Amino acid sequence: MKYDLAIIGAGPGGYVAAERAGAKGLKVVLFEKKELGGVCLNEGCIPTKTLLYGAKIYDSAKSGSKYGVEANDLSFSFDKMMARKNKVVKKLVGGVGMKMKQFKVDVVNDAAMIQQRSAEGIEIEAGGNAYTATNLMICTGSEAFVPPIPGVQGNENILTNREILQLKEQPKSLVIIGGGVIGMEFASFFNSLGTKVTIVEMLDEILTGMDKGQSAMLRQMYAKKGIEFNLSSKVTKVDGTKVTYEKDGKTTEIEGDKILMSVGRKPVTTGFGLENLGVELFKGGIKVDEKMRTNIPNVYAAGDVTGFSLLAHTASREGEVVVNNLSGRPDKMRYNAIPGVVYTNPEISGVGLTEETAKAKGIDYKIAELPMAYAGRFVAENEGGSGSCKVLVGAKYGEVLGVHMIGNPSSEMIYGACMAIEAEMTLKEMEEVVFPHPTVSEIFKETVFSFGH
Amino acid sequence: MATPIIMPRQGQSVESCIFTEWTKEVGEEVKKGEALFAYETDKASFEQEAEEDGVLLAVFCEEGDEVPVLQTIGVIGQPGENIDEFSAGTAPAADAEVKEEVEEKPAEEKEEVKVVLKEKAEGEKVKISPRAKNLAEKDAVPYESIEGSGPGGRVIERDVKAYEASQPKMSPLAKEVAKAEGLEATGAGSGLAGTVKASDLGTNPVYADDFEIKKMPHIRKLIAKAMHQSLQNSAQLTHHLGADARRLLALRKEVKAKEGAPNITLNDMVCFAVIKALKQFPDVNAHFLGDSVKYFNKVHLGLAVDTDRGLMVPVIKNADDLSITGLCNQFKEVADACRTGSIDPELLSSEAASFTVSNLGNYGVEMFTPVINLPQVAILGVNTIVPRPKDIGDGVYGFVPYMGLSLTYDHQALDGGMATRFVKQVAIEIENLTFDY
Repeated sequence: MKYDLAIIGAGPGGYVAAERAGAKGLKVVLFEKKELGGVCLNEGCIPTKTLLYGAKIYDSAKSGSKYGVEANDLSFSFDKMMARKNKVVKKLVGGVGMKMKQFKVDVVNDAAMIQQRSAEGIEIEAGGNAYTATNLMICTGSEAFVPPIPGVQGNENILTNREILQLKEQPKSLVIIGGGVIGMEFASFFNSLGTKVTIVEMLDEILTGMDKGQSAMLRQMYAKKGIEFNLSSKVTKVDGTKVTYEKDGKTTEIEGDKILMSVGRKPVTTGFGLENLGVELFKGGIKVDEKMRTNIPNVYAAGDVTGFSLLAHTASREGEVVVNNLSGRPDKMRYNAIPGVVYTNPEISGVGLTEETAKAKGIDYKIAELPMAYAGRFVAENEGGSGSCKVLVGAKYGEVLGVHMIGNPSSEMIYGACMAIEAEMTLKEMEEVVFPHPTVSEIFKETVFSFGH
Repeated sequence: MATPIIMPRQGQSVESCIFTEWTKEVGEEVKKGEALFAYETDKASFEQEAEEDGVLLAVFCEEGDEVPVLQTIGVIGQPGENIDEFSAGTAPAADAEVKEEVEEKPAEEKEEVKVVLKEKAEGEKVKISPRAKNLAEKDAVPYESIEGSGPGGRVIERDVKAYEASQPKMSPLAKEVAKAEGLEATGAGSGLAGTVKASDLGTNPVYADDFEIKKMPHIRKLIAKAMHQSLQNSAQLTHHLGADARRLLALRKEVKAKEGAPNITLNDMVCFAVIKALKQFPDVNAHFLGDSVKYFNKVHLGLAVDTDRGLMVPVIKNADDLSITGLCNQFKEVADACRTGSIDPELLSSEAASFTVSNLGNYGVEMFTPVINLPQVAILGVNTIVPRPKDIGDGVYGFVPYMGLSLTYDHQALDGGMATRFVKQVAIEIENLTFDY
């Protein structure tokens, strides 16, 4: 039988597209050599959020006395935390499987190998069976990039996001190479549990891409909690559990029970016969246009494999763009309102232009920033806590260009800013929106009004 | 007795109407049944007739005012009558007869208003009701180009609303930008579910002032049409060939050196040579008429002239009768007439010339493909003089000044052999040019 759409990779790009396409009546086959859900569900977003929530509860309990709650003899179980993580992952992976059944998606639990593009369509082999589809969507994702630093190859003390989630014991000390989103979230988790965490970051600030001022604010908060930050520091050598880095020409050696390598990710473009199609690559990822089309007709790509956004929600939307166009609804991918969230405690969230990118693009903008304490509920729930909300608007028309927040639960309210940017709302429209009171989200409204003050 | 003019009530739900205009002026005589004023609701516009004879004594509202129904808006009566008892805003006495005269049935709410766009004529005054104008300006609707459905083609609110409904959805920013910069949405947008974003408007707002669109002058339109038709309706191709320009340059030097001699230019000399060649090639000195060919006995030479107003090709009639001095003088005359705009339009017709020369040598052009002025069968492009190696005897090569000649001809009328022989003959005439002056 011939499928309308074959999808290789069942991460948030692939399984969401399969669900949408199935719902629209397309005949879909989804190939996945591991578990459904991809990195996101199995070794990324979901397991880390599960662990971080455990750590957050522990943090809250520890600081209960600030709220008049005394919790004595407090303890946690690393094993139980890991076990709960596995349970959550299993439940959600099962949920994806149910959805695939509901929308009549054929799931093939085998490694797919693209054979060729023929008059029949695109031919794929998996588990000894042949499949043919009119369209192909590649969602093979990315894997941790391990840089060629001496002493890294074959070093069992070095972990990526995958291995660190399988730890049996909590390390006493952890060196994290790369202070990006992945590095900071694991740093937050292990710091809460009492592990001595040291971060080595090559750039002059952690969390590249987020608002620089708020990233610095977060770094200072964690420095107080005991994380050691080494910025502008380049790792030159790893020897067993010892990490050597260079800063301002000075060489320093630090040691950790374990070393987390989180310097970046690289698209997976080999091992599934991509070369048999002659798909063009760009900077290591699959080159796509705004409709996620590759250079080969009927072949699409979505998600990390394209090599630039590396976010689950980007992947899902990219997959939806493909399905929309296949089912007759013209759609284009837009990247100007993709939110970024870091689930540290407090969370940092942002969408749209940062001050840095606006400057670099030469966009004429105005900016307003208010402390989170302007929102009553934030004060009620964050004893001694601080945070901020920053809004960038166009200088001439006041359209919302970017919103950046540090403070809980910014991850849950940033979508409001996404909608404002997607809809090209200006301050005038924003001023007329009613926000629920009392919520932390009111900080967005307060900041919008502060432009007029 | 003076009587008040009252804003009629249009249905139970309407509390006020927008006053649009007085069709009579204060002091003007009014006959019962004549149109007196116009007003509108959000759904339709109306004209109100006078209910009695008299003179319009006073008016209390003007265009654009929102007037509560049943309010006094003016007074009708006999000249000199006291109207003090009436003033703006007074309601009529309880016993005053209120006629609910409905001139025009209000449009059914569900009725579909067709959006008709028109091209706005230059200087035409746009008829639009104030209510519609307010809405149009608020929402950046180009009301000048909407065909109004009100009386006399007046644009009323429902036309603006219908226009808006017919347009792609615009984001708030896009509306702001469209209004501020006079841009329009040109189709479905790239935003949420096809919403038009600011970047989808006619141009990127950042570069909105980057260009202006101007109407083409008439002459430009004529040239555009003639050139396009020429390429569409003929089988044009160009042969390039060089002529040894040593003799031409020597003659030019001689003329220059001679005191009192006319200023005979290289172009004059080339044209003189072309005329001589044309006399030997009647097939080239002709018009192609589709099923017949018009051969000219005389040479009527067209010369392309670059002017501020655009390209002009004046013709010298009977150019083969002229001495080189005569040719030189006449070229100057027609070229000047073209530049000052005093040229006889008859002399610009492509029918008037039997052959055309376009000389770009002055500008340093080394080769080009001139476009034929139909129905002529060919045009000669004259290029700049460049040094070219030439056997100057005994296998010795030297650099010789060569003038490029580019002959475009209509293959419908001429074959390549004929065209080549002709352009070669022009070269021979140039290389062996003699004249008295």
